[in-house]
Amino acid sequence: MDGNRSKNYEKKLNKKAKRSQHIVEKQTGIRCTDSVTQILAICNSGLVNGLSEDLVFESFIKYGPLEKIKMVPGKSCAFVSYKSLESAALAYNNIHGKLNIAQDNKPLHLSFVESFPEDLINKYDMPPGLLLLENFISEEEENRLLQLASFDADIESTTGTLKHRQVKHYGYEFRYDINNVDKEKPLSQEIPPDCSFLWKRLQETSNLFFEPDQLTINKYKPGQGIPPHIDTHSAFEDPIVSLSMGSSIVMEFRQDNGSTIPVLLKQRSMLIMSGESRYNWTHGITPRKMDIIPTETGLTVEQRGIRVSFTFRKVLKGECSCNYVNKCDSFLRANGREIQSHSAVKLEKSYVHDIYENIADHFSDTRHKPWPNVVGFIDSFEAGSVLLDVGCGNGKYLACNQQILKIGCDSSSSLVNVCRQRSLEAYICNCLHLPFKDQSVDGVISIAVIHHLANTERRLQAIKELRRILKLGGRALIYVWAKDQYKDEQKSTYLKQDRRNRKGKHLTPQTNTDSITITENNISLPVHTNRTQFQHQDVLVPWKLKQEKLQEGDKLFLRFYHVFEKGELEEMCKDLDNVEIVKSYYDEGNWCILLKKI
Amino acid sequence: MKLITHNMLTSKCMKGVTVGYPLKIQAVDVKTSEVDFNPEFISRLIPKVDWNVLCEAAESVGFLDDLPRELIENYENDVDFLKKAHRVLLEVDIINGELVCPETGRKFPINNGIPNMLLNEDEV
Repeated sequence: MDGNRSKNYEKKLNKKAKRSQHIVEKQTGIRCTDSVTQILAICNSGLVNGLSEDLVFESFIKYGPLEKIKMVPGKSCAFVSYKSLESAALAYNNIHGKLNIAQDNKPLHLSFVESFPEDLINKYDMPPGLLLLENFISEEEENRLLQLASFDADIESTTGTLKHRQVKHYGYEFRYDINNVDKEKPLSQEIPPDCSFLWKRLQETSNLFFEPDQLTINKYKPGQGIPPHIDTHSAFEDPIVSLSMGSSIVMEFRQDNGSTIPVLLKQRSMLIMSGESRYNWTHGITPRKMDIIPTETGLTVEQRGIRVSFTFRKVLKGECSCNYVNKCDSFLRANGREIQSHSAVKLEKSYVHDIYENIADHFSDTRHKPWPNVVGFIDSFEAGSVLLDVGCGNGKYLACNQQILKIGCDSSSSLVNVCRQRSLEAYICNCLHLPFKDQSVDGVISIAVIHHLANTERRLQAIKELRRILKLGGRALIYVWAKDQYKDEQKSTYLKQDRRNRKGKHLTPQTNTDSITITENNISLPVHTNRTQFQHQDVLVPWKLKQEKLQEGDKLFLRFYHVFEKGELEEMCKDLDNVEIVKSYYDEGNWCILLKKI
Repeated sequence: MKLITHNMLTSKCMKGVTVGYPLKIQAVDVKTSEVDFNPEFISRLIPKVDWNVLCEAAESVGFLDDLPRELIENYENDVDFLKKAHRVLLEVDIINGELVCPETGRKFPINNGIPNMLLNEDEV
């Protein structure tokens, strides 16, 4: 009876084992074999079933020294390679159908296989851009630095215990709620001067010029870790460097395609993450009490001790401009905000066209003085030239240079009426559809117009219209409002017009708390505080009736603006056919570009 | 609206319109207003003008007078000719009326001397 039952059991087991072998072969391309090899496949359990590398190691090391373990991501199988055939055979006999650590405490099914699955990336390779400098500091230096990291001494807001570890910040606080630093609020406690020798050493050993202004100290007890993450692009510059002290640890780098590279961060080593490894790979530490580490004699296990890491970073001024756009919060923010065309039309109507109609008279009264560099451009045309001013407003440029023909156009009939009253030639149109013949003008200006268009596509369309009506060799001058109103230590006129901004070296940055949601389109736009630096690119700018205090009940007029980042205008024009960029410059708070049709 | 402006306007931005030039003028009210005469400016401007279109436009509003329909040779030195051209190009002013797209018949109003060339979203 017993013999029969065990025979039946073996039959059933083999049947099941054969089935799972097929699955392994299909999933990994590794061939199973009946003859004994050094390599065993676990056919019915893997990462997806909750089998951990630790448990595999623990269970298989009993039968002899191990060479490699491979947990296949997303699959229900794993591979173990022994140093000898004998160990592998012993493990097979003791584990196959007997060790109940598969899902639901079922026994593991094993099979000998012909080869070990190799990653596309060799396990000794590093993620591109990653550099590990071992023995970067001496034991004495390590002890000195560790003394800085005593967490017990001062409990303040910059110190805290996260779920998985203790942290402390210097220079700037890294806020885990917003995944960024508050760049406007540096901490009073800067990076301790005792760390400075590290930059010199980086320079000497790796030719790396790096002077960080932010330090995060992490303290990991055995069993603690940090979830896989990419340091927020817009928060810090490239590179990020991290010093490991107290204990070694394995950090895992992962890429979207599933490639995982474990990197052993030895005690006293310096890790430099830059380029792809900084921007496109996640890094994390699995919370466990030991690491399995490849050595010359095979895999060994190393118990973790208390590890303290010093991560040095430099806070990024402005936005990130990396090429890893899918991982880049700056890119996604800039592009996610892009206003759709149908909303753009409504937005421009309500927050540009209608507003100018309402404020035209007062607007005209405050727009007398032509900008000198624009006048210089108009004066550069020879007698008899034809110049169109697209978005002419009250026509302040139509009165310049009597030797050329100037025609203006604007979408505001009230402003065109002002031109008419001044005996200036102008008509009403939209700058996206100029009712002018192709190649009909020698020059065209677009001063403070394109920033009123609500998305990139429309802004580009406006530039293409200018190009269309230009003759060959004709020139266009475009001015748009700059996000940065504070260049080369000089405040723009716009900022200087507020008396409070005239004195003192630095502007007080103001945070916009108001924002208006345009309900029909579900767009929320911040309201800009006049005479301050811009905090956002797409904003509503209040029009204030000069000299008069706003009375309660007075209507506040808000105009839509897209203020331009440095290089944005140039970037738009760079790839346009049939034009060349003659000049690109900053003029009194505006980004300006001079184009020539070729 | 001066005739020099008309000389450059089109309705080609409209959906379905290929050339949209020249626009027909249906004038209700036309005036002339004196503009300083600058012979050099006018003689340099003339090559940039579609002369046939200018003459037809002038004729349609009743101000062609004795302006030659063909450009004369050496007009740069013919002050009399330049004065006539000056008058038609810069002094004739359409105050009220309409501009009409030659392909679709779409009318663009001219009020107080200002043509309104705005198009609706469904026209572009």
